[in-house]
Amino acid sequence: MPAIEVRNLKKSYGTTVAVDGISFEVERGECFGLLGPNGAGKSTTIHCVVGALRPDSGEVLLDGEADPTRPSVRAKIGVAPQPIALYEDLTAEENLEFFGKLYNLGGDVLKTRIEMALEFSGLAARRKDRISTYSGGMQRRLNLVSGILHDPPVILLDEPTVGVDPQSRNLIFDNIESLKRLGRTIVYTTHYMEEAQRLCDRVAIIDQGKILALDTVEGLLRAHGGPPTVQVEFARKPAGLEDLGGEWEENRLRVRTERPMEVLGRIAGMGDAFQQVSIERADLEAVFLHLTGKKLRD
Amino acid sequence: MKAILTIALKDLKILARDKAGFFWVLLFPVLMAVFFGAISSGGSGNRAAMPIAVVDQDGSPYARAFLSELQKSEALRVREAGLDSARLLVRRGELVAYVALWPGAGQSFGFGGDSAKIELGLDPSRRAEAGYLRGLVTAATFSTMRGQFTSGGSGREMIRQSLASLQSDLTRSLEERRRAAGVLNNLERFMVSLDSTEGASDTTGAATAGGAGGPKIKVIDIAEEENGPRNAYEITFPSSVMWALIGVCMNFAISIVHERIRGTFLRLRLAPISRSQVLAGKGLAAFLAALGATSLLLLLAAVVFNVRITNPPALVVALVAAAFCFTGLMMLISVFGRTHSAVAGAGWAVLLVMSMTGGGMIPLIAMPAWMQSVSNFSLVKWGVLAVEGAIWRGFSPQEMALPVGILLAAGAVGFAVGARALSRSEG
Repeated sequence: MPAIEVRNLKKSYGTTVAVDGISFEVERGECFGLLGPNGAGKSTTIHCVVGALRPDSGEVLLDGEADPTRPSVRAKIGVAPQPIALYEDLTAEENLEFFGKLYNLGGDVLKTRIEMALEFSGLAARRKDRISTYSGGMQRRLNLVSGILHDPPVILLDEPTVGVDPQSRNLIFDNIESLKRLGRTIVYTTHYMEEAQRLCDRVAIIDQGKILALDTVEGLLRAHGGPPTVQVEFARKPAGLEDLGGEWEENRLRVRTERPMEVLGRIAGMGDAFQQVSIERADLEAVFLHLTGKKLRD
Repeated sequence: MKAILTIALKDLKILARDKAGFFWVLLFPVLMAVFFGAISSGGSGNRAAMPIAVVDQDGSPYARAFLSELQKSEALRVREAGLDSARLLVRRGELVAYVALWPGAGQSFGFGGDSAKIELGLDPSRRAEAGYLRGLVTAATFSTMRGQFTSGGSGREMIRQSLASLQSDLTRSLEERRRAAGVLNNLERFMVSLDSTEGASDTTGAATAGGAGGPKIKVIDIAEEENGPRNAYEITFPSSVMWALIGVCMNFAISIVHERIRGTFLRLRLAPISRSQVLAGKGLAAFLAALGATSLLLLLAAVVFNVRITNPPALVVALVAAAFCFTGLMMLISVFGRTHSAVAGAGWAVLLVMSMTGGGMIPLIAMPAWMQSVSNFSLVKWGVLAVEGAIWRGFSPQEMALPVGILLAAGAVGFAVGARALSRSEG
């Protein structure tokens, strides 16, 4: 039985359709990505999955149960919302204690979990400080561990790296990879293709409330990414390469080809001096561009 | 219940750390109470016409004439009422005073008497007006007497006829005739003295009226009779209690918006607790904060400003009802908008109007009649009345029932409507 099943989910706000018939399944222990630009419907989907929003139609099954608002179901879910959902006038420790108590944690169990969460997020040294004094990255890390304090098997992370510095982002990536190793089921929404590419086993490309493609990263690249691009920069534009096709921009040649090594061999065989050579694989940005005709960050 | 308490304690901890919130909830009400208390203790300025009731249990032409004199005064707004009704209206603060004419009051306009036939019941919260009002009543008494004895000469003619009749009455002993003639001669001299003091009677006091042979006026401090206020702070601190409640109400209403914007409200809703537990937790925090702030205020009032709390159980009921009411109002105001500015703007607009019309700033009694009617729609009025009823108005349980009932009902409706709207707006 999948950890999460979403069937033909629809949700509108007035005349604006936020989610338009989305369906997917997330297997246990899988890290599933929802990749799309802002406003694509990722957060609305997450909110419907966890029961914070009532869908107009469709069905969500969490661990086989149809009502995600039931306390027994909610206890199995951990959520890190997109906003930093913490009390800024409380310390890190007080925030964690409060959220832990809401999940029926108490006594030594709660203390141990708080210790683990603070260590996990690298915030143990600042545990007694009010979080209004934290950097954005530190708040993001606390936001993440506040949602998983009760050690849920299913974790939904809604854009957990928005607005954080590279150091905090790497720490968050490390945290998520640790959770993957522990066998947690993770749903990860992002509009950063490199995050989805690095962390997710499967990715759903979502735009305007619809899933445009769903596969492993490799599968998406194969199906929608197009061939690799060979890029060569010459000292001066050579003759005799017209049959390779591609695009010239002054002394730079870009050739999209399924056989990049053959192209490189031709160039090397001509004996002309070249200054730089690179082969670029297609990425999820290219997949999104191919599927929608626009860039992810448009 | 554990989850509700957890949420409530978290909110109270945040409130305690919020300096601005602390100011509005506690310091501002204290400043208001002390400021207006000090002003009220120092006297009064221009007044609106004072609303009073007249109770005519005599029904004589003299009594009617007296009422007519009172009604002529531009300083008074006179209405007729039964005695119980008049006392109740004064006790509730809707009238400054009542004037009751007992049976036989009409006769006493001529010959006075040993017992007071006119009763003046005053609202002690209007001490500044009390002397002025007594002067107006006394003036009306004199005018009535002058009218009866001097206008058309009917009074003097009556006395002359009585003297002539007395002298020719041989059935009485000489001693009896001598004593009766003495009384009538004294009365005639009194009427002469009235002529000579015409135009100067407005400033004559109640004691003068009785001593000169007119009716005696018994002055009753209607609330003091039942533990009325001893100082202005007993009037201003009940108003400051309302300001504390307003502060709590706004603080928590805005905190709900803040939680919705920051996402913590979403996190609460995603926890394995019901939505009603979340709302109950928020409500409990506001209720406890309201109860705590108002209790602290009244403790301060009692210890520092010599405010008597004459009926502690009734005060507990009043504070609980008022705190409950403003907790419900808080929930309602929290859904007035989705941003801080929308909720703060709309909330303060509603509560300031309630406070202005309900006696939070100006005592109800000083308001014009139309505003006093409007004040019935203000929960602040019922809150002030309930607290005053327990502190110094000496309300009976039956009298407490109305303001307390209104506060509880309004709180329940506000909470239900607000919670429903909040739930719907959160999807």
